[in-house]
Amino acid sequence: MKMKKTSLFLSTSILAAALAGCSTGQGSGSEDGVTTIEFWAAPNPTQQVYWEEMAEAFEKENEDIKVEVSPMKESPTSEAGIQTAIAGKSAPTMSENINRGFAAQLAESKALVPLNEIEGFDELLQNRSMEETIKTWKFADDNQYVMPIYSNPMLFGWRIDVLKEAGVEEVPKTYSEMLEAADKLKEKFPDKYIWAKADLADPTAWKRWFDFFMLYDAASGGNNFIEGDQFVADDAAGIEVLQLMDDLREKDALLTKQATDPFESGLGVFTDIGPWTFSYWEEKFPEMVYGETFDLALPPVPDDVSTENVNTFADTKGIVVYASATEEERAAAMEFMNFVYSDPENDLTWLETTKLPPARDDLSSNEAFASFFEENPELKPYADAIPNAIPSIDNAKYNELQTHIGSMAVNPVVEGTISPEDGWEEMKRAIEGELKK
Amino acid sequence: MMKKRFNGTGWLFASPYLFYGIIFFIIPLIWSFYLALTDWNLIAPVYEFIAFDNFIEAVQNPGVQAAFFVTFKFMAAFVPMVIVSSLVVALVVHGLPRFKGLFLIGFFLPYLASGVVSSLIVKGLLSYNSSINVVLRDSFGLDIDWLNSPLSALLVVAAIIAWKFTGYYALILTAGFEGINKEIYEAAAIDGVTASQRFFKITLPLLYPALFTTLILSIGVSFGIFTEVYQLTGGGPNYATNTWQMEIFNQAFTNLNAGYASAVAIIASVVTFVAILMIRKILEVWGKRNGWV
Repeated sequence: MKMKKTSLFLSTSILAAALAGCSTGQGSGSEDGVTTIEFWAAPNPTQQVYWEEMAEAFEKENEDIKVEVSPMKESPTSEAGIQTAIAGKSAPTMSENINRGFAAQLAESKALVPLNEIEGFDELLQNRSMEETIKTWKFADDNQYVMPIYSNPMLFGWRIDVLKEAGVEEVPKTYSEMLEAADKLKEKFPDKYIWAKADLADPTAWKRWFDFFMLYDAASGGNNFIEGDQFVADDAAGIEVLQLMDDLREKDALLTKQATDPFESGLGVFTDIGPWTFSYWEEKFPEMVYGETFDLALPPVPDDVSTENVNTFADTKGIVVYASATEEERAAAMEFMNFVYSDPENDLTWLETTKLPPARDDLSSNEAFASFFEENPELKPYADAIPNAIPSIDNAKYNELQTHIGSMAVNPVVEGTISPEDGWEEMKRAIEGELKK
Repeated sequence: MMKKRFNGTGWLFASPYLFYGIIFFIIPLIWSFYLALTDWNLIAPVYEFIAFDNFIEAVQNPGVQAAFFVTFKFMAAFVPMVIVSSLVVALVVHGLPRFKGLFLIGFFLPYLASGVVSSLIVKGLLSYNSSINVVLRDSFGLDIDWLNSPLSALLVVAAIIAWKFTGYYALILTAGFEGINKEIYEAAAIDGVTASQRFFKITLPLLYPALFTTLILSIGVSFGIFTEVYQLTGGGPNYATNTWQMEIFNQAFTNLNAGYASAVAIIASVVTFVAILMIRKILEVWGKRNGWV
């Protein structure tokens, strides 16, 4: 009998422990007049420390709001972590690290609060000087679901040292200049390539942000690709982008085989570069010096397009507030955002910590950031390009759509298995079919 | 006639596992079936019951069709690779006069290595500007696009997984070798059998139970390949390495189609179950016919 009781106790304890392990441990809510909001920071220590410091400073001035900062779960990706948290009713009040495409997926599922419906949003835009930048973030339903934190206008890097050796004195700005540079490069260095990038042959959706969309945004003058459920891309611009890839391939100036550090080793002389690259280079490739070994430029454009005010893709991420948050939590979240973004010093701290340009209209003109850009001249072109940067498409099916761009157009064109015109038509047909589903 | 008695203590001792099974297996399984009949993405407040539409769409999807065939192609490459390599390792270790355990542990270590890390190392080794490829290009004129050509990408992934599992299966086969009675070899020597006759007529038949286990285990592995493919090829080129796990992952976590992904997962489970059952039966019949079991 005693043994039975012991067994019963043991099995009950194990079950209780197992069920306790399944607990979500949700931290938001209101208690004793204090509203607690849960903030998920990007899963990297730098950003987590930044947000912890902001939360601490905010709590000192707002005793009725507590901000609990924790890293976003990556199980197996941060998007999947958020998806499972929402499904498991354990979503935080707010989180950062959300791109526009994923926000569109969440918004379509009514998982996000339109920020423009929370009191204090207009004040936030004014205080942070981002009324222009935010316009490109408006979603198809006229709502703003994401408060952009940073905006990386993606630029192309050129190995000017290699180009000079090949007799190319100026960084190419147009397609003909680029193809001319390809001829000179191959003549001098038959084993080198203009563009060495294995991702061009990979259909993974997000990879198109850093090749196709950079070139397409530039070629089309920032013309939308998808509007709501309509394919509205500039056909001529799209075909010209694919033609450039095809021309480079024909000149053997395009390498799509997997290579280690192709740009840094000089195997390729052209690549997309984000601001995050420089701290990596400082450690691993100190020989990469801005203005000496490499230069930064906006994407090249077709010959009939102006080389002034060229558009490019904006790698941007921002903050969202989840629909599961109560009215008090939503208001507290907005207060926290207003606290952080009403002081340019906080954006400066962000910039110094992460090297990611804050999504502000006045980044290149505000005195608060002047000394930072003097010390980091390689980041100045990014600040200058922010007004011309186009964020990703805001369609909930962005993954499927961008996979079609890769598998139907970019991949077969760089492999030489389809013509640019046919590739574009195949892609268009697949995208329109996907949008009708 | 004996009366059946309710054994409370037995049920009590089994209850932790039963609860575990119900919570982590039975309920998710039922839930997955339900999910597969809807268009839910797990987060939308409303969703529709769409009966078998997800299943119909899945069987027509090129990604799912590719996953079906790719699994068997992987099996055709991986199973012979891993069986031969583990057999060789087991034979070598078995023949060692001492430190057998130490060597076995050494061969077993890749099994514990992270698939992500080993994939990244292989990616570096096979990159266009790696020493291997430079030598192949400069000395032999061979310019191989390892991860972008359908056949080599598949073989590379199969080879990494074979490397990972070789030590594990060698452990099982070594135990099999150790279990063979040495007197049989002595008797065969007196009868004047050759080395190859000894291996094919004595060793292999007596090793069959261990070989059978490793065969079934390796076939099972072929249905669950994910990390190496995810890291190295992403399922490409052109679906040439798109496994069931890749397809399920992409649909569930990239495209947020949880209902559809559940349908694919169920199809994958059925295919896996039926395939393993059939292969097992074939191996049993073959073993019996040849007098190996």
